[in-house]
Amino acid sequence: MRRATYEKGDRRVGYLWVLPALAFMVAFIGYPIVYNLILSFQKVDVMNIKTAVKPFIGIDNYKEIFSGDVLSTSVMNTLFFTIGCLVLQFSIGFALALFFTSGFRLQIRLRGLLTVAWMVPSTVVALLFKFMLSPSCGILNYILVGIGILREPIGWLTSSSTALWGTIIANTWIGIPFNMILLTAGISGIPDELYESAAIDGATSAQRFFWITLPLLKPAMYAVLILGFVYTFKVFDLIYVMTNGGPVHATEVLSTYAYKLSFERFHFSEGAAAANVLFACLFIVALGYLRLVRGDEEIRA
Amino acid sequence: MRHGRRARVRRALLNGVGVALTCVFLFPLYWILVSSLKTNAEIFQVTQTFWPAHTNLVAYLDQLHGEFNVLKPLLNSLIIAPATLVLSMALAIPAAYGVARFAIRGKKAIIMSFLVTQMLPSTLILTPLYLVFARLRLINNYFSPIIADSTIAIPFIILFLRTYFIGLPKGLEDSARIDGCNRFSAFLRIILPISIPGLVTAGSFAFIFAWNDLMYAITFMNQTSMRPLTAQIYHFMGKYGIEWNRIMAFGVILVLPVIIIFTLLQKYIIGGLTSGAVKG
Repeated sequence: MRRATYEKGDRRVGYLWVLPALAFMVAFIGYPIVYNLILSFQKVDVMNIKTAVKPFIGIDNYKEIFSGDVLSTSVMNTLFFTIGCLVLQFSIGFALALFFTSGFRLQIRLRGLLTVAWMVPSTVVALLFKFMLSPSCGILNYILVGIGILREPIGWLTSSSTALWGTIIANTWIGIPFNMILLTAGISGIPDELYESAAIDGATSAQRFFWITLPLLKPAMYAVLILGFVYTFKVFDLIYVMTNGGPVHATEVLSTYAYKLSFERFHFSEGAAAANVLFACLFIVALGYLRLVRGDEEIRA
Repeated sequence: MRHGRRARVRRALLNGVGVALTCVFLFPLYWILVSSLKTNAEIFQVTQTFWPAHTNLVAYLDQLHGEFNVLKPLLNSLIIAPATLVLSMALAIPAAYGVARFAIRGKKAIIMSFLVTQMLPSTLILTPLYLVFARLRLINNYFSPIIADSTIAIPFIILFLRTYFIGLPKGLEDSARIDGCNRFSAFLRIILPISIPGLVTAGSFAFIFAWNDLMYAITFMNQTSMRPLTAQIYHFMGKYGIEWNRIMAFGVILVLPVIIIFTLLQKYIIGGLTSGAVKG
């Protein structure tokens, strides 16, 4: 790649191109991250937000949020939500990716149409599924009762045992195209010759799937799962609009909890601390992923 | 011959199943449109109708006046989203070109930091940004959501356009420089014009990020007159929770620009989604 870049004398000029964006990111992401950390060790609420002096109180904010039940509930809900969504959207997305690469005329056009769900604002998806899951006029209950799966309509989002599943269904709808498109790209990247020579050697389609498609798809599967985990774990809009974390914290996730601490109760420092817990969870997952990928490479080497 | 017929039947079957799957999957989008054309009485009927018995536009006409009219929030969204597009493109295009074409020390670290930034939860910077904007008196000011939305758009655009610029043949700039262009004018006259598909894709992503944002909008714009569409529909729901035909009509207005952009740029957007996410 030497040829693709200019030579040494241009180095300083190169910085000028990057500098404005870098300065913006430092000011509006880097600084807020540091500020959020400091904030979580201070006492800042609606009483002293306008005064210059913000007292440091050590880890009291963390003690405060860890002492209640809501934080652990939120962590468990976030995990359950994320894993539930990942399992559903990955398996359905994978099945669709396989189907829409099996070679028929409309496959590219239909694949494109499906992708539109990924672009729909999650606010709209949330309202739409809230409507479709409604016990009084929801189409899902209507269909499920109609074909005899349910005896009577259930209040998906109003009962604490089903509410989280309601949000998982809605989020899975957004996630399926994302999984399908990335896995499709992975499948299309597998050279046809591999399948052809395997067919000549007499491999069945199941054998071809397990010995060619799956192993060669591994990098794409890792990528889609880890990205999916990160995007799903920080969910906010969808849950905030669908259930606002209720009923009684049954769908409370870390993002909505942090948001409520800051902007409904105006305990800004506790909100900052809860956001840092969310960040720490994501960080651990990212590290685990790196180790997983590296370990995999070592085994192969 | 028999083989040919079997293959034809198989293909027809696959096409048919494909269409059926697509229809089932996109049913929610059909449902939002159909429900917006019904009366609320019809929505609450015991027997659901899959096409409105009496198609009417009441739900849309209601939005043109009164307390919950859609015009002001639409205007606010039409300020915030294009402004985010302009700001983030102005900063991200040169940066993408810089990391694609120059040997900068610490380039890997810079690219890595953009990658990590993309994965950060917005909640992490929400409280500090709010406190900073409050101190600068930028709450209920267009600048605050524009800046906050740009923090999402800029890293995405840089990573996306970087791969795009790397893919362009290097000889282009060299021949321009032989013809007496300096690097900046070569960039303006040669690189930008041939990158228009990439630029349009990147810009539409920036627009959609800002158009779809709810979290920054409800936090930084708490005055009714300043709310963009996403924030207003949220408050609308709180007030008229079961007037589903109106809410769905509002939803159609919110979703329509996204679908139009998507339809026009489908090929590029799917390409962008893949390259931005996998290649990084």
